[in-house]
Amino acid sequence: MILPRTGWTAPLTALIAAAMAFLAVLTVAASFAAGNLADAWRTDLAGVATVRISALEGDVEDRVKAVLEVLRTTPGVKEARALSDAEQAALIAPWLGGEGDLADLPAPRLIDVTIQGAGPDSEALQGRLDLTVSGAIYDDHATWRGPLAAAANALERVALAATVLVLLTTIAMVAFAARATLIANRETIKTVRLIGGEEQFLVQAFVPALAMRAALGGLAGALLACLILLLLPEVDGEIGLGDVLSPGWTGWLVMAVGVPALGALVAWLTARWAVGAMLRQLQ
Amino acid sequence: MSRRSANRQKSGQELIRLENVSFGYDDRSTLDDVSVDIEPGSFHFLTGPSGSGKTTLMKLLYLEHRPNTGAFSLFGQDPAGLDASGVARTRRRIGVVFQEFRLLDHMNVIDNIALPLRAADVSVADQGEDVMELVRWVGLEDRAGAFPPQLSAGEKQRAAIARAVINSPELILADEPTGNIDPEMGGRILRLLIELNRLGKTVLLATHDMGLIRTAKSLVEAHVLRLADGQLSRAAAAL
Repeated sequence: MILPRTGWTAPLTALIAAAMAFLAVLTVAASFAAGNLADAWRTDLAGVATVRISALEGDVEDRVKAVLEVLRTTPGVKEARALSDAEQAALIAPWLGGEGDLADLPAPRLIDVTIQGAGPDSEALQGRLDLTVSGAIYDDHATWRGPLAAAANALERVALAATVLVLLTTIAMVAFAARATLIANRETIKTVRLIGGEEQFLVQAFVPALAMRAALGGLAGALLACLILLLLPEVDGEIGLGDVLSPGWTGWLVMAVGVPALGALVAWLTARWAVGAMLRQLQ
Repeated sequence: MSRRSANRQKSGQELIRLENVSFGYDDRSTLDDVSVDIEPGSFHFLTGPSGSGKTTLMKLLYLEHRPNTGAFSLFGQDPAGLDASGVARTRRRIGVVFQEFRLLDHMNVIDNIALPLRAADVSVADQGEDVMELVRWVGLEDRAGAFPPQLSAGEKQRAAIARAVINSPELILADEPTGNIDPEMGGRILRLLIELNRLGKTVLLATHDMGLIRTAKSLVEAHVLRLADGQLSRAAAAL
């Protein structure tokens, strides 16, 4: 073996690869979470709307029936359903601590509307509601949907950018490690050259060793990051983010296998390029 | 023999030919208008005081440096036209013995000696017996598995000589090979080099040790080249 098994550059290469793989797994996990969150926001907010009926004016139940009738005859509305008292109580329970009685509160009645296609013409529907009942407001969540969709997209882009940044940093760090290894072994390289060793011989002597160190370090870093992710406290299902933050089987496969494999490939290519460039420079 | 054309013969069979070669680091001239021919199978000493340019001339010969001016021919060709691969192939025809040995500390004696074979993409397994024969020839059979830091200076230099000749080079360049070892071991190193010369190898041995040259003169027909102030001349017959 031309490259010494020991020396300060050997653990350096593995350590750098481990640290970068660790960060890569975390950013990939964040990417999956951001993607899932974005999908969840889009799915939850798309295809649904709400009608709020003020409780302060007239008989609420009669007005609920009238609104349901209007919705049944509105093109673009697939289904409309009034929330039960229990469902409404559950919605405001977090703010009342379960001690308040919904009947004592002037809480508006809510109607869940499932829309189809592009949904109803919001303005026309609101006009019909105004003519039929007082205090009924149609909310297609447009006010929320736009910014949330933009935020979800931004999150995805940030996560993707972080992943790319980690990849580029990995390339730079492996190149530095390769360079440090070559500088540390400058005399070995010089000796091999003086006895007639060609660049290809030195490349074959250095690159596989560097790539192997990087691959082993990367595998260790990736597995450590996966272990830490597995040991994180689970997000409570009531919050509804448990599935969203889980990367799923695909994600685990990417993080535990894909990241080290990609790291090894990047390390090999980077080391090949860095060693070649450095050898030409040393010559 | 003029100072500018030491040992000059126009036979056309020179292994090395330097013609009005000059070389300097930055603005300082180290070799000044050097001319010399070295024939195949000859034994030459290159002597001169420290700093006279012996190592620089050796580096020119094993292609670590290129002349600033003048004509240089090695194995009948101009090395200036060689690419990196050509330089490597030419170096395999040269066995270099360095004063500081240049053994790889993380390899044992056998692996160090076999390194030029691996660099030349020759199967070490096929040449295993050759390697062991060389190990025995330099008297290191009991130290074959030892690593350079475990060897004495003399043992290191013998390992370096074995490494220099493993590829059967035509030319042996030895730069102060006895500089770091005791006189007794120096004599042993000298006898190894003389033995190589008797096997037909061309030897150029740089040394400032005049005692070594006097010893060699009784054992081999050696030519002495003297470098002083960057200029090469044939030394006087009486040393």
